[in-house]
Amino acid sequence: MTPNEIAGLMLGIFAVLIVVRVPVAFALGVACVPVFFLDDRLSPVLLITEMHKSYNSFVLLAVPFFILAANLMNSSGITQRLVELSRAMVGHFRGGLGHVGVVVSMIFAGISGSSTAEAAGIGSLLIPAMKKQGYDSSFTVALIACSSVIGVIIPPSILMVVWGGIMSVSIGALFLAGFLPGIMIGLSLMTCVYVYARRRGYPVYTRASIMEFLRALGRASFALLAPAIVVGGVIFGVATPTEASVLAVLYTLVVGVLVYRSIGLRALPGVFYETARLASISLFCIGTASAFGWLLAFYRIPTAIMKALAPYATSVTAVGMIVAGVFLVVGCFIDAIPAMIIFGNLMLPLAERVHMHPVHFAIIGVVSLAFGLVTPPYGLCLLISCTIGQIKVVDCIRDVGILLIAMLLMLAFVIFFPNAILFVPRLIMPKFV
Amino acid sequence: MRRLIEAYVRLLRVLLTVLICLLVIPVTLQIVARYTELIPRYIWTEEAARFLFIWIIMIGATIAVRERTHFDVDVLPRPSTPRAKAVSQLIVDAAILVIAAVFVVYGWGYAAFGYAQTSELTGINMLAMHVAFFLAGVTWVIFIAERSLSALAVIIGGGDDAE
Repeated sequence: MTPNEIAGLMLGIFAVLIVVRVPVAFALGVACVPVFFLDDRLSPVLLITEMHKSYNSFVLLAVPFFILAANLMNSSGITQRLVELSRAMVGHFRGGLGHVGVVVSMIFAGISGSSTAEAAGIGSLLIPAMKKQGYDSSFTVALIACSSVIGVIIPPSILMVVWGGIMSVSIGALFLAGFLPGIMIGLSLMTCVYVYARRRGYPVYTRASIMEFLRALGRASFALLAPAIVVGGVIFGVATPTEASVLAVLYTLVVGVLVYRSIGLRALPGVFYETARLASISLFCIGTASAFGWLLAFYRIPTAIMKALAPYATSVTAVGMIVAGVFLVVGCFIDAIPAMIIFGNLMLPLAERVHMHPVHFAIIGVVSLAFGLVTPPYGLCLLISCTIGQIKVVDCIRDVGILLIAMLLMLAFVIFFPNAILFVPRLIMPKFV
Repeated sequence: MRRLIEAYVRLLRVLLTVLICLLVIPVTLQIVARYTELIPRYIWTEEAARFLFIWIIMIGATIAVRERTHFDVDVLPRPSTPRAKAVSQLIVDAAILVIAAVFVVYGWGYAAFGYAQTSELTGINMLAMHVAFFLAGVTWVIFIAERSLSALAVIIGGGDDAE
């Protein structure tokens, strides 16, 4: 069989299995199996060895730790304190609670690297509150889902850690480059909230006094120190990303158990179990995705794709649009990490061909894959928000679409202005960029 | 039989919780050792982390098969009748069974290959890690066999005695 036929076979099997609702992780693995038998040079044991090899990456250890830190923040009431602080900051804008949702997502993003934990934590606090104040359910759910996307764009970020690990890019540089797009997406969402609030007459809070603001700031102060430790640790080379993720866990544990005393020792095993359960589902999928990606690389499919797309890959902008387009489409159907393992490597030759900066390539990839968290049918953050808001995905699809347009404009900015994205990393980490 | 499987799942849940708590330790020791003189720089921490990590992933993935929490995609509408549900579950389980079969058949050889190796860092036998794939495969076969039987009962019995 020619490499093209092999690729067609694998993607065909994968697509069929996905349609009949086989879990993505298993569909990726099953798609590899016939190829292992067809080629005399290969054996199914490669599925196991490639999976095991992918789990041997020390960087991946950061995935469960970042999810654990976020879950600890949620169960220790740190998230609640951040909500109160955000309310004191932006509650008096028109559409107050909507702005609070976006701002608290941005602050939460600075501590946690997981968008799904963010959607669950912030959603369970704000979605009921917003509905009570008369916000439409569909807008509420769409807004919380879209805001939680910022979780993996503002550092720390699980997606950036994994991307840096598999593509050998400085994770510190990626973290620094994530600030600007993350803040821009936050501001674009706040603009949308303002327009919605004007047209639909959403309520406002009275402006918090300076004293109230300071009190809220004081109550959240321990939580606000965390980003400095975690992000600062990685950027200044004090800790590896994995170590930084453990520091985040230890810090939230100490704050939750000893300082705030808001989380009992009895509740801890439950939090740990939930984290392990969720993390291992994503991690298992990383294994089969790695085997799938390895097989595609074995048949030199990335080179074939590069040759096929070469005529369109005329400039950094053109390649940026291709990369974003592929990830946006793929992100509708599979999780961000397997998507990046399989398709990131497929598109790397294209990016190198036009001398796209590796950090720029990574940020385009991470931002477009992050949008996949709210695009159906497979948008985890949207699914989580819908569950909390007790509405169906189809019922909020229109509002998600509207918010997504604003976010896509920010993605276009990322594609068109690499120098703006690279400005902060160049300023602080010139050696690595 | 069902009771036995339930007890086994509970054991797996407890193991998973214990392992993730343990996982925090080696990485913490690494940081402490680097920045303080309190403890020496243990050489086993990285390997311990890898060992715990592989078991967490495999046990977690096993529990997720039992609880049907592996992520799937809603392209088609969800089946509504008990019989359609049972058929759909059988199809999904057949695909999972393919991976389970690979893990059982080829995981055995992989475990044997691990048994022949000893870690240079810590001296533990590599079987301790390699066998995780084989055991995950065996466990999936058990879980799927149990529920395929009840799914078949639903299909044959006309869907009246659904769970």
